[in-house]
Amino acid sequence: MHTLKLLSAFLKMNIQMSLAYRADTIVNILLNLMWLGWELLSLNIIFSNTQTLGGWGIGELIALLGVFRLVNTLMIALIWPNTEKFNQSIRDGSMDYTILQPANSMFLVTFSRITVWRFWDLILAIILIVIGINMSGDLITAPQILTFILLALSGIIVIYSLWIVLIALTFWFTKFDNNVTILQALLDAGRYPATVYPVWLRVIVTFIIPIAVATTIPLQALRGELDFNQVLIFFFIGVASFIIASRVWKSGLKRYSGASS
Amino acid sequence: MTPTISVQQLSKTYEVPEREGGFGAAVRSFFKRKYKDVKAVQEVNFNIEQGEVVGFLGPNGAGKTTTLKMLSGLLHPTSGNANVLGFTPWELKNDYLRSMTLVMGQRNRLSWDIPAADSFLLNQAIYRIPDDEYKETYKELDELLELEPLMKKPVRNLSLGERMKCEIAVGLLHRPKVLFLDEPTIGLDITGQARIREFLQEYNKRTGATIILTSHYMADVTALCERIIIIHHGQLKYDGGINDLSKKIAPFKLIGVLMENADAHDLSKYGEPVENMEDADKKFIQVKADEVTRITSRLLADLPIRDITIADPPIEDVIEQAFNQ
Repeated sequence: MHTLKLLSAFLKMNIQMSLAYRADTIVNILLNLMWLGWELLSLNIIFSNTQTLGGWGIGELIALLGVFRLVNTLMIALIWPNTEKFNQSIRDGSMDYTILQPANSMFLVTFSRITVWRFWDLILAIILIVIGINMSGDLITAPQILTFILLALSGIIVIYSLWIVLIALTFWFTKFDNNVTILQALLDAGRYPATVYPVWLRVIVTFIIPIAVATTIPLQALRGELDFNQVLIFFFIGVASFIIASRVWKSGLKRYSGASS
Repeated sequence: MTPTISVQQLSKTYEVPEREGGFGAAVRSFFKRKYKDVKAVQEVNFNIEQGEVVGFLGPNGAGKTTTLKMLSGLLHPTSGNANVLGFTPWELKNDYLRSMTLVMGQRNRLSWDIPAADSFLLNQAIYRIPDDEYKETYKELDELLELEPLMKKPVRNLSLGERMKCEIAVGLLHRPKVLFLDEPTIGLDITGQARIREFLQEYNKRTGATIILTSHYMADVTALCERIIIIHHGQLKYDGGINDLSKKIAPFKLIGVLMENADAHDLSKYGEPVENMEDADKKFIQVKADEVTRITSRLLADLPIRDITIADPPIEDVIEQAFNQ
């Protein structure tokens, strides 16, 4: 309850901030539409040469693009702006105030900046998923939709946890501004289904660098390709990575309070 | 009654990477860092009772800020203990964080791009302050600091003094019982400093809050604090009343005499002559406190004195003497 209140306070503040930059908002929405056009065009080019890509047809790939953009929205609306804020607060020392606030510092660091207008991307992403599934002609059942939502959430949590670990590294290496460039590079690999990559790479992408978890896996669940055990495993990966990330964050804070002056 | 703040043998040692200048040294230090231990605070002890206003004094790098950061919970000490309001600060319990505040004159809590009013509301949410209590506190702070005209402008458009008022106010919204203020008047002009000072005095009187403050401006300390703690090279050099400071650290008095034909008389055989800008007509000598009576009567007997004053030396001089010991 209190968390929701806090979240709405952050949201309000960020809406006010983005309203202050009108032109910026409009240009960004247009740019975003252009990108979508480009992505659809490149899919079209690929499929003018082949019928399937790693066993996936064009409809399924459009749906995958939708899921990819879902995750990407998280990156752009939360992760990028908050990383910038975080790195700055380490440099100018305002991190001290964040630590001394009676609220979970990980929560404060996650939501203090929200690029609000980016949330219209979510709608766009959902439209892409619906259109893609329609084109592919797959039959979708209610449990499949539920597992899809569950695994999409768990995938987002995996990426979020990876981010927390990356920015927490800043507590050890004071200058680490590239922290999120790495994450974005990894995420971009999730734009195509993990099955197009060779097996060894797929293992890395799925398990060692769990990006596909957030894109391919939920979509496989939606198409009913995963059995119950697999769903359970991927859900567990989400929970486990969150726990690990919280631990790393905590010891990072401890490190910060031991070393800063 | 247990003291609001108690500190035992508190110490903090930093590991600071160290390298010599030059390219070669830079390359070597990339592979193998050398560290040097810096003892920022060494075995400091003190107790502070509820409602006290205590000034931390000391030159740059003396360990004032490090001590404040340990007391607020930001830093873990290397050894020793501290207890504030029954909490160990660095455990960062929410109940503790809700009952204290740290205001640092050189850092911003308010968001730069939005009006202070919005940052205030955000802090209301973070500290879970009920609406009616928030309104009441805000009204009080507004009365004392005249915040209202500042609240609607983006913070980046405020002057330094205006911003500082807002920074202090936002730190007090949750009615903390203990205030740690690190250089709250830094960079402000004389009137700005005085405004903040008056506010803190009034706030202390109204709420009974305990205040520890560090400042470079002696006037802050002399106006606000009855008690001062002097830290130098990480060690506690003095802890006591501001009026007793001169007795302990520099047991001297200043004798000022107004004489006919002043330049004809040599005062140096009575005591050490000193300059005093505030009273240029008189000649001043510094004598040991327990010799004041004897020397005064000698002066009165020997010289054509029209007026004589006996006073404590200015606090600035005393503290400087303390640092140099």
